[in-house]
Amino acid sequence: MNNKEARNVGSIPPTDILEMEDGFHIIMDMPGVSPDSVVIDIEESELNIQGASSYPEADAGLRKLHTEFGAARYQRSFTLSDFVDRDNVKAELTNGVLRLFLPKAEAMKPRRIPIS
Amino acid sequence: MVIDFSSMYEGSNDLERIIEDMFRKSPFGSRHLFPKVNIAENDDGYIVDVCIPGVPPDDIELVITARNLIIKGERKSPEGRYFRQERSAGSFQRALNLNVPVDRDKVVAKNENGILRVTLPKADSVKPRKISINS
Repeated sequence: MNNKEARNVGSIPPTDILEMEDGFHIIMDMPGVSPDSVVIDIEESELNIQGASSYPEADAGLRKLHTEFGAARYQRSFTLSDFVDRDNVKAELTNGVLRLFLPKAEAMKPRRIPIS
Repeated sequence: MVIDFSSMYEGSNDLERIIEDMFRKSPFGSRHLFPKVNIAENDDGYIVDVCIPGVPPDDIELVITARNLIIKGERKSPEGRYFRQERSAGSFQRALNLNVPVDRDKVVAKNENGILRVTLPKADSVKPRKISINS
């Protein structure tokens, strides 16, 4: 792996994590990443997300005048708590934003115990 | 016959400076310019790539005035209890100077995975032209 690749590995995407009534949402900015180039793995309690942006580094015949961003290889991991129903995690990617939905585990939902 | 982008480095343009000042006070902060832009040129025109993830095309407003391309809009954040909030949200605006006339009717914008590509063809009057010499 050369230096340039090493630098590209593991750009940390800005992420929001929030709880809504239905469960937890992880929202990540991954501009330039197409849905088929995202890999999401859950191994035990580890959630790992990787994606490479397909933003063109250099278009033929284009002279760069000003550059503020480039292609990136995004990578981020999270540890899932037992509150998450790991079998029903859903993901969607629209407009360069990955949105993961992690429903609350049924066993962890608040319950009222009736008194018999 | 060049786009004057000098203000982006030096803040010499009044409008840009006012906007930069606004950003300094905004939640984005000056170090986190949003949206980030890349500008490139070829013989036909200018290509401005805007890194604008999470803003649906309907919420992005592009204004081309005689001297500026202005990108503005709002990035909304969903309601909920936040454990972590790293993605900036709120209104944004950036203005890029255009010192070369562009064919305003032929400007096109296309959004692909959160990167908006704006193609601004140069006006015919400024395109390089070969002049044949009559002997």
